[in-house]
Amino acid sequence: MEIGNLQRRYLDFASTLFHEGFLDNQFTQLQQLQDESSPEFVLEVVTLFFEDSEKLLDELSRTLNQQAVDFKKVDAHVHQLKGSSASIGAQRVKNVCVAFRNCCEEMNQEGCLRCLRQVRNEYFLVKNKLETLFALEQQIVAAGGSVPMMW
Amino acid sequence: MFCSSIRMANSAVSSRGRRALVVEDNAIIRVVVRKLMKEQGIVLEEAENGKAAVESVKDGKSYDLILMDREMSVMDGHEATKQLRLLGVKTPIVALSADSQQCDRDLFLRAGADEFVEKPLTKDKLAGILSKYGLQ
Repeated sequence: MEIGNLQRRYLDFASTLFHEGFLDNQFTQLQQLQDESSPEFVLEVVTLFFEDSEKLLDELSRTLNQQAVDFKKVDAHVHQLKGSSASIGAQRVKNVCVAFRNCCEEMNQEGCLRCLRQVRNEYFLVKNKLETLFALEQQIVAAGGSVPMMW
Repeated sequence: MFCSSIRMANSAVSSRGRRALVVEDNAIIRVVVRKLMKEQGIVLEEAENGKAAVESVKDGKSYDLILMDREMSVMDGHEATKQLRLLGVKTPIVALSADSQQCDRDLFLRAGADEFVEKPLTKDKLAGILSKYGLQ
């Protein structure tokens, strides 16, 4: 596919991610930090986010399915996930974490389980979107083009 | 899960040798702060909780700026700030938190923090902090 088309596809796709609330300005901040000295900075940070989040989601599932739920532990994990998602601009994940923390404060197991389903859903959605975005970047570079800036 | 060791983040030293300490338990947030500081030519040390930060100061280390997270295991930001001030630390301490409730800000300021900045830390926010404390 011609470079111009790839670049347009990339910009359109990226634009929808922001428009649909998957990403916020913090993601743009990460992109602006990427430079010659750290050409894969965004990919590195997002990969860390993926690894960390999946561990946290597994822990959350384990902790919430105990007989006696340790809500403090659940809250600590959600706090971590909220911080990580906010740092990379994963807005929808972050927003569910806010509601999730409220359920922890209320010691509402059912509410927490519902939030866990939502946050898992939002996480895998944004993961899928970001993987597509990075794949488009790779296609542009492989075709000899440069990845257009979104700002 | 959380170790209390201090890790030197990078060895880039500006001609003025400005040093900062970020006290933050989230590894991803530390990676971003590390990059932001590197852009500014600031030597950054990292502590994964408040206790590690206090130990660092007790070991004789000094900083031009301390960025302090609120919620951390072992020792939280409020307590760490209080202890650092009791140790005689005059370094600007900027509290970082994702929750911006007034009572939380007040608590931090009463503990001895100079300022409260909402997370996530951005280029502009950091530039503002550095400018305010003469570190730019």
